[in-house]
Amino acid sequence: MFSWLILLPFLGVIILNLPFRALMRRAAFWLCVFIASVQVCAVVFPAVCLWMGKLDILGYILKINFTLDNLSRVMLLCIGMVTFTAVFVERQMRRDEDKFFNFLNLLLLLVAGLNGIVMVRDIFSLYVFLEIAAVSSFILIGSNKDFAAFEGAFKYIVLSVVATVLMLSAIALFLIVAGDTGFSSISAALKSSPDRFFVILAIGMFLCACFIKSGLMPFHGWVPDSYSSAPASVSILLAGIVTKAVGVYTLIRVVSAVFGFTPAIKSLLLAVGALSVVAGALAALGQRDFKRMLAYSSISQVGYIILGLGSGTALGVAGAVFHLFNHSVFKSLLFLNSAAVELETGTRDMESLSGLNKRMPLTGITSVLASLSCAGIPPLAGFWSKLIIIIALWMCGQYFYACLAVAASVLTLAYFLSMQRKIFFGKLGEGLENVKEAGFGLAFPAVLLALVTVGAGLFLPLIIHVFIFPQGAIVGG
Amino acid sequence: MNELAPQLFWPCTLGIAMIFVIGLYCVLFTYNLIRALIGLEILIKGVTLLIILAGYITAHEALAQSLVITLIVIEVVVITVAVGVVLGIRKHTGSLDARNIRNLKG
Repeated sequence: MFSWLILLPFLGVIILNLPFRALMRRAAFWLCVFIASVQVCAVVFPAVCLWMGKLDILGYILKINFTLDNLSRVMLLCIGMVTFTAVFVERQMRRDEDKFFNFLNLLLLLVAGLNGIVMVRDIFSLYVFLEIAAVSSFILIGSNKDFAAFEGAFKYIVLSVVATVLMLSAIALFLIVAGDTGFSSISAALKSSPDRFFVILAIGMFLCACFIKSGLMPFHGWVPDSYSSAPASVSILLAGIVTKAVGVYTLIRVVSAVFGFTPAIKSLLLAVGALSVVAGALAALGQRDFKRMLAYSSISQVGYIILGLGSGTALGVAGAVFHLFNHSVFKSLLFLNSAAVELETGTRDMESLSGLNKRMPLTGITSVLASLSCAGIPPLAGFWSKLIIIIALWMCGQYFYACLAVAASVLTLAYFLSMQRKIFFGKLGEGLENVKEAGFGLAFPAVLLALVTVGAGLFLPLIIHVFIFPQGAIVGG
Repeated sequence: MNELAPQLFWPCTLGIAMIFVIGLYCVLFTYNLIRALIGLEILIKGVTLLIILAGYITAHEALAQSLVITLIVIEVVVITVAVGVVLGIRKHTGSLDARNIRNLKG
């Protein structure tokens, strides 16, 4: 079921490139908006789309086992929302019709790859969809064709290929141990022989590959470069879903469904997560470039997700998944704000901007909401997810990591307040008198994302039992 | 399990490990971007051999073949994109030296 969500973007690419391209060019924007909205609707109102679920064409042809659980639903929702945002941002930022059309084609391929990642239950199919997503994001990062973009793309490619090599070696070793690549058979084989040298080596290599792909701290080199040099809409995609689905989701899924929460894996996850939380936040404090600061903040927030996963309890995993959702909402919103600022003022240097709140009130308000949510200020969604993660850490006896998470939250608040003070508050800077709001294409998704992050915080009692706590169920299975 | 597997396993593993070392050396000890890509390619070749070995010793040759064919297709796509990026860097700087691409820092 739901494999039509993978088929739909592929069909979209084919339709866009049919012979009558002039007509398709005009329809391309709305086609992408339609595909993204259908995906969001399919997750939020599953009953409406139930009849589509019967059409399991792709799973039937490819003999791949596509299944869907709560975690996959959350990821599909994030992918739909962020894609929706990115299409609007790209429409506003890109004047060149040809480049816009190429962007939409690559975006649809990326969405197909990401949807595949969150639905497969087979480690090799996972790798295939992962590469579909990775290759489209390489091209998207370099699509501006300036030197910085190529540099960011090259670093991402090299580290990504190294991650691929590690992942494939792990898959080969699993093949020796289990004789199959399905999650369930590998899991069974690992349970029967947990201490073989090959098993430990393979688990270590797979975890390293996931750490590289999610940009955690010892392997974070590519993250700030490719986030800050990519075009605005691609930064939104990368920070919002690509690294989250390719790295963090894979890590959550593989650890919970295949490796199991052994003490060694838990302590590794906690150590890497804590390092990323603290070092990412400290590095973000020292940045001048708006997007680079957001990239380091992204590393720090992914660290929180890994800390929640490392607690190994149902509550911790539920908190991690909720933080994953929140992060893709508020970080997309912040990259959207940085796009608006860059489009209107022509710079991302935080020192040369000030007082933009007077000229861009909407961007100012939404960015304050997103930063406060990211820093964990009570009524907003980010507070609740961090609270759940910290409670889970405390309950399983990891007092040190719980205190570290609280302390790093203060650092998060520090760098976001410093960003707000430099860019949006204070006196209007010289030469910024003619700046205005960036237009409908950036304002509309910004308001939607701000509503989601406020709404998820205020209506927490309504969603906590249907949306958050069921995530913990994957720990037992 | 194939009956020749125990005798073949360690020699083959040793060979594959040597290919990995050659690939890593090639990636780490060069400033030429194309050579770095060749090193990555050698690493992927090592993995390909490892999957074939895994299929052979567990007598799942058909599965291993299908995996390897998929892998080769994907790897060609990735390396093609990477060469495109290297060409772009060459257009901007006029050289293939990795020491030129250290603008983004901090």
